[in-house]
Amino acid sequence: MSWIDRIISGFLWRRRSLYSDLAEEVRQHIEEKKELLMHEGMSGEEAEQAARRAFGNVTLVEEQGREVWQWTRLENLWRDALFALRQIRKSPGFACAVIGTLALGIAAATAMFTVVDQILLRPLPYARASQLVEIYERPVHWNGHDLNFVPFLDIQAWQGRAKSLQQIAFYDWMNGRSFMGSRNSSTEVSLLKVSANFFQVFGIHPRMGPGLPNMLQDFAKSGSEDTVVLSDTAWRSIFHADPHIIGKTVQINGQPYTVTGVMPRGFAFPFGDWIPQAWIPIQLTSKDQVRNEDTPSYSVIARLRPGVKLITALAEMNTMQGQIAKSYSNPDQRKNATRIKIDPYVSTLVDKSTSRALYALFAAALLLWLIACVNATNLLLARSFARQREMAMRGALGASRWSIAQQLVVESCVMSGAAAALGTAMAVASVHLFQHSFRSHLPFRISASINLPVLGGLVVLTFVSAVLAAAWPAWLAACSPIEPMLRQGGQQSGTSRSHHRLRGGLVIAEIAMSLTLLAACGLMLRTIYDLRRVPLGFRTDHILVANLDIPTYRFSKVNATTELYEPLLERVKHLPGVDAAGLMTDVPLGRTFLMQLSLYQKSSQNIVDAFFKAATPDLKKVYEFRMLAGRYFDVQDTPTSQPVVVVNRAFAREYAPHEQDLNKVVGMQVLKLDPGKQSKQATIIGVMDDFRQRSVDYPPRPEVEVDISQLDPKSGFYTGLEGIAMDLAVRTHRSSDQVVPELREALRQVDPALANAKITTMNQIVEDSYGSQMFAAHLLETFAGSALLLCVAGLYGLLAYVVSQRTREMGVRFALGAQRGDIVWLIMRQAGLLVVVGVAIGLGLAFASTRFIRSYLYGVSAHDVWTMGVVAVVLLLSGAVAAYLPARRAASVDPMQALRSE
Amino acid sequence: MMILESLRRQPAHGYALVQQIQQRSNNLLQVEEGSLYPALQRLLKARLVKAEWTVSSTNRRVRTYQITAAGLRHLEREISSFERMFQGISLVLKPRVPSPEKA
Repeated sequence: MSWIDRIISGFLWRRRSLYSDLAEEVRQHIEEKKELLMHEGMSGEEAEQAARRAFGNVTLVEEQGREVWQWTRLENLWRDALFALRQIRKSPGFACAVIGTLALGIAAATAMFTVVDQILLRPLPYARASQLVEIYERPVHWNGHDLNFVPFLDIQAWQGRAKSLQQIAFYDWMNGRSFMGSRNSSTEVSLLKVSANFFQVFGIHPRMGPGLPNMLQDFAKSGSEDTVVLSDTAWRSIFHADPHIIGKTVQINGQPYTVTGVMPRGFAFPFGDWIPQAWIPIQLTSKDQVRNEDTPSYSVIARLRPGVKLITALAEMNTMQGQIAKSYSNPDQRKNATRIKIDPYVSTLVDKSTSRALYALFAAALLLWLIACVNATNLLLARSFARQREMAMRGALGASRWSIAQQLVVESCVMSGAAAALGTAMAVASVHLFQHSFRSHLPFRISASINLPVLGGLVVLTFVSAVLAAAWPAWLAACSPIEPMLRQGGQQSGTSRSHHRLRGGLVIAEIAMSLTLLAACGLMLRTIYDLRRVPLGFRTDHILVANLDIPTYRFSKVNATTELYEPLLERVKHLPGVDAAGLMTDVPLGRTFLMQLSLYQKSSQNIVDAFFKAATPDLKKVYEFRMLAGRYFDVQDTPTSQPVVVVNRAFAREYAPHEQDLNKVVGMQVLKLDPGKQSKQATIIGVMDDFRQRSVDYPPRPEVEVDISQLDPKSGFYTGLEGIAMDLAVRTHRSSDQVVPELREALRQVDPALANAKITTMNQIVEDSYGSQMFAAHLLETFAGSALLLCVAGLYGLLAYVVSQRTREMGVRFALGAQRGDIVWLIMRQAGLLVVVGVAIGLGLAFASTRFIRSYLYGVSAHDVWTMGVVAVVLLLSGAVAAYLPARRAASVDPMQALRSE
Repeated sequence: MMILESLRRQPAHGYALVQQIQQRSNNLLQVEEGSLYPALQRLLKARLVKAEWTVSSTNRRVRTYQITAAGLRHLEREISSFERMFQGISLVLKPRVPSPEKA
């Protein structure tokens, strides 16, 4: 027996003894009185009666005496709750409908909000994160997206003069992938070269060690060069939380570094503490002391002074930069550095369209919750009114209004409680679902913990709505005179017109809100449909893609083409079932890597921005790209032959806008692959048809491809391309389940570091690139489907109730000669009015609200008339079906029975 | 208050209390005898009185109530506040006497 049980049983025992004392006492009292009266000469019976009369109501006295010791309110509530549970057991269908409806609403809204909250509203792991800004340079006439990083001299000038900035730090990305650890077991880390004051800008100090030593006389320079600060994740996962890590030497990309700090848990930059991270000091060189083409430039992150507005800072910086730009000797560079762009760091994490779309989805979930509440209210109202007679009976038996209302309220609370529990469970499950579907296209991980305040808020609101729905009719019933209700038999008393109007209003609201959701869903489905019909420009079937983790540092001195890629291709080509295998720095829709070039065309005076990729000849066999002119790479292209590139049609159109004949584009000289003075310009040997590069809804951009064998390890293109990223694409006629293990084994044999490569099918990559749209569409499908179901159920419920109320009226109508068709028409007309009004309001709502999901739409306008029309028709039809069943029941009323049932 | 006052004079059991109160009020207060018991239970719960089973002078097993220290304090307070209220009421109800200064 637990101690709680003991306390309770002790408590009950004490209470029982108190009660028996009281009863005993009362008995003694009456006895004494009786004896006295008998002493005065009464008979035993007379004395007994007199004594009892003088005493009063024994039961009542005892009850009142006992009540002194009870928590009456609580015990009544408990009784009501038990009664409510019995009621639920009696009509499980009704209870399930209410509980399921409410749970659905709560779950959808909570899960959606959890996602929105974690992505958009989550606090960043930096001190006063709202003051952090990113700063770029830009030209006066700006195209809106290309921003320039900042050379050190400019940053130094800002640091000395900008009054609106408290501190300015800068950082640089490491070239390629970085690995940390010993020779045998190395882990990929995110490595950033940072200025010495980097952590001070974030306002976060290391949990261990001094951090990056900061030379006070220079804000950016660090004293010692080979030091590294680890993130908490790196410290735990790679060094098993070694408490003596400070001062130890670790290997990063084969170089020794001394650990001088470990950052506190949660701190990460770039954002995302699930990746092991490390930061090493930037080494400024003589190149940083000038402003020319070779000057390195950096990403800048700064902290605004407290109270300074972004716009003030921007104005100050622009004025200053106008002066600074004059010290650029190169006119092109000067042009690109005359203006400043400042973005709050927080806003750069999620782009605007994603956040707007997430809010829209959240609104959709709230709408579903609202519909669920309305529907539950409708159900509860119907039931409460149907129970008016029961209420009247209770009133007649002496129940106070309050106790009647209390009982109904408790009942609805029990149901809302069950709904809240179920809803929470469903919310947790759906957040897990979100977790999976979000991974592919957001830079965040979503933790499975749901947002408690929101869940609480929604549950409370749900309770309130359910309680109102239950209590209001109960109160009405309790206030109305009891007697006519009992006499007329409740059911036919023609419960107030306002009640019908209220329920009709609720159904209209439900229909209108559902239509809004359906419209959004319809637009998303149209989008998916259109996206699926977009010609991709390549084949996607029977292709496996492996995204390789290239250990960059090992291939900076040796040629990866001969050391790694050629042996790899050779091995893979001879795997059974492999028809062709090719390499490309980033396969179409892969989105793993991006390199962009700006090519200056002398004759037409325009600059072409183009994606730049390295590939192998066989890639064409894998993807079956279509050539419009010339040829793709082949065996003739070797390190010693004429350098060549292949371009796509978009490139040809922009690079040679006046050239109609693509065959004439072939042979044009584009760029030098090698910076050496004697090296030849690479010529175009072929023009490919356009294909989708980044995502299905992203129109083709100019692209230049180069054969990997022609990239020399000494050239900048080599370090920027094949030394960093490479995708292996394999065409095979065997099933992927069989080929993947063999492929992985081949990778492992070539280089153990490649064994962890992520291998997927091309079809999956295409599917993933629909990602956010698909996700939104699935969500909206679920929401809209539920909403449709709910509003059909609501309409059906209302009409079924109306019909049951009007049974006698139907009987009279039949008796007076009405045809069955007339009756069906009567009910359908009533339903039709509700549906039409609801649809009309809903169309208005939809027109006003679908523009919020515009960023998710492709190939369809937010106010697409067809979609709206179809959605309206769907609702009208479902309304008709929902109305037809009760109407038919009304029509099948047997007049004799209906009239006799009175 | 009346119960506490009676108990202050001497501990008593329920029946005796009823008799005492009726006598002391010259039978002006005619109440159902039973209504005493819920009141006693309330006092018990508030620990203003305590009760124990004893054997009465009539050789009967009775539950005798005794006032506690807390009960005494409570009674003092109640009486003084009741007296003040009573004073106030009687002042209001007293026929108006024109004050000599104004006359």
